[in-house]
Amino acid sequence: MSSHVYLLFTLAFYAVGALHVLLQALTRRKLLTSWTVTATLIGFASHTASLAQRWTEAGHFPAVGLHDVSSFLAWALVLVFLMTYTRTRVEALGLVVYPVAFALVLVANMTPAAESDDPILRSYFLPIHATLAFLGYAALFVAFAMGLLYLVQERELKSRSPRRLYYLLPSLERCDTIGGRSVEVGFGFLTLAIVTGMLWSYRARGVYWTGDAKEWTALIAWVLYVILVLARQRSGWGGRRAALLGILGFAAVVLTFVWVTAASGVASAAR
Amino acid sequence: MIILVGLSHRTSPLAVRESLAFAKDRLAEALKRMRQEAGVSEAMILSTCNRVELYGRSDEADGGARLEEFLCAFHGRPRPEIAPYLYRLSGPDAVRHGFRVAASLESMVIGEPQILGQVKEAYQMAEGAGTLGSALNALRNRSLAAAKRARTETGIGENAVSVSYVAVELARKIFGELRNRNVLLVGAGKMSLLAARHLVRGGARATVLGGRTFEKAEELAAALGGRAAPFESLRPELAAADIVISGTGAPGIVIRREDVEHARAARGGRHQRPLFLIDIAVPRDIDPEVRKLAGVFLYDLDDLRAVSEANLRERQKEAAAAEALVEREVREFLDWQKSLDVVPMLVELRKRADEVRRREIERVRQRLGSLTPEQEAALDAATSAIVNKLLHPPTVHLKEIARDGFAADQVALIRKLFGL
Repeated sequence: MSSHVYLLFTLAFYAVGALHVLLQALTRRKLLTSWTVTATLIGFASHTASLAQRWTEAGHFPAVGLHDVSSFLAWALVLVFLMTYTRTRVEALGLVVYPVAFALVLVANMTPAAESDDPILRSYFLPIHATLAFLGYAALFVAFAMGLLYLVQERELKSRSPRRLYYLLPSLERCDTIGGRSVEVGFGFLTLAIVTGMLWSYRARGVYWTGDAKEWTALIAWVLYVILVLARQRSGWGGRRAALLGILGFAAVVLTFVWVTAASGVASAAR
Repeated sequence: MIILVGLSHRTSPLAVRESLAFAKDRLAEALKRMRQEAGVSEAMILSTCNRVELYGRSDEADGGARLEEFLCAFHGRPRPEIAPYLYRLSGPDAVRHGFRVAASLESMVIGEPQILGQVKEAYQMAEGAGTLGSALNALRNRSLAAAKRARTETGIGENAVSVSYVAVELARKIFGELRNRNVLLVGAGKMSLLAARHLVRGGARATVLGGRTFEKAEELAAALGGRAAPFESLRPELAAADIVISGTGAPGIVIRREDVEHARAARGGRHQRPLFLIDIAVPRDIDPEVRKLAGVFLYDLDDLRAVSEANLRERQKEAAAAEALVEREVREFLDWQKSLDVVPMLVELRKRADEVRRREIERVRQRLGSLTPEQEAALDAATSAIVNKLLHPPTVHLKEIARDGFAADQVALIRKLFGL
């Protein structure tokens, strides 16, 4: 089967997950049931198959162009979500992750795969750099989502009249802790991604830093996360301010990301 | 058959329920008298502040009326005066009611947890008094199991409705785990003590701030396994606290906005962490202005009540699921009960015997050719007599057993032996 067929399967299963979690939220019981999780796992397996297939089809690691990038990003996101869920059992995260994963796979399904035989893409730096970066993005997205959940739950608590979300969302402390941990993990990946990106650039172009906009945004996001990680560890920073910074940091990441995608290729730095 | 007479908060005013309540120390006596005077073979009495119910086992048609008579006689109340408040149920309806009460579907506050314990205790009392037989015991086991299922599998028991428990739940929504959280008690009423107890049970540490009498604070601190501190140290204590419960009888504000701001600033980097203030005093102790501070959550008594009402609405949404679950369990119980009944089994047994008899007569007739009407009658009478004589002793015997309890084993054995 071609990677497209697998991707269609994936879309269908993620749609089940997204619809189910939203439906559960409306009828209010458990957010995630074994049905949702099973659908996700099947979708994820098919997603993995799609990526592997695509790798063969493209002749290089599938992380170039909107089609590949959104598919791979969704894959990393679902992977990180599943890992977070296994560790913490926080179901409310699904409320944010499922629709986004679905949307990304939808975008991938609707865009043609970019074909390129640029020799630079055959570098083994591409899979390493891209995987690190995407796992980092996914973890930072989880931090972003937990920050959002924190702010919503805080608003619910401040309002003193609980509505549906009050019952569905985890405690502030939990949002804070999981958000903090995700930032640490995401920051680690981001750092490694930047380092490997620089090495790759040096290998291909002879310079570590080309100074294009994408590199600058990545650096700004990185600096924001340094501040956040240090503030948390050193002075016990947390709560609302940490949640806001987590959201802001992710905005910077998205900016970087949009830039890269617009420039159509992870390899733009090396070009 | 299980029969039931009772009254509840739905059918009667408190005064009537009070006059018919059974004191715990007279319960054993009441149970024994109930069995004698009301002619029931088994007896159980559930007496709480919201309901008084007599469960019995009787196959008499006037069983319910006799229970009613006993209830009024025991309390010396005239029956015509009481009767309008009573409900009288029997058979499946009584069973269903027993299940619903245990599952707290009949409670004033749906899903309240006390009723399960009260029902359990009522059965234990009956067991102790020796008035519990197989029928009520079966009802006990199945209805308590169903009640537990309803609690764990639906949300009727979720989301607190008592004010002190609402406070604890809010604390959990803010802090997650309560372990090592600092609770500061300012002034001590019954409600703040109750809430503090719940928090301490969850692993929180309590500090009690003394008022005019420091001894009282120390006493309270000892009861909570915490420590006492003088009122003057409000600000440093506030800085260390995660949760504050204030319930003094002071006429004015006790914790001002400046106090809270000061305490927040004193926490250093941690000052972004949430602070949960619970003001259960009337008039209020805590300046409502502190609500505007980031990370500060202030709930007064009205707020707690509003949450409690919202929680109750959430529970009622879950009630439908619990109702369905309990109804399924009731059906299962009734089916099971029916399978134990000796009467349908005896009817079947007789039918089977008669079938065999008729078949054999038919065979004899074919072999002997046509018979005279006299011969026909004699053959019929003789075979009927054989069947009746053979079945008579087991019938009598089984009915006897069934009167004392469910003849479960015997019924099962006979069904097996005769392939029914």
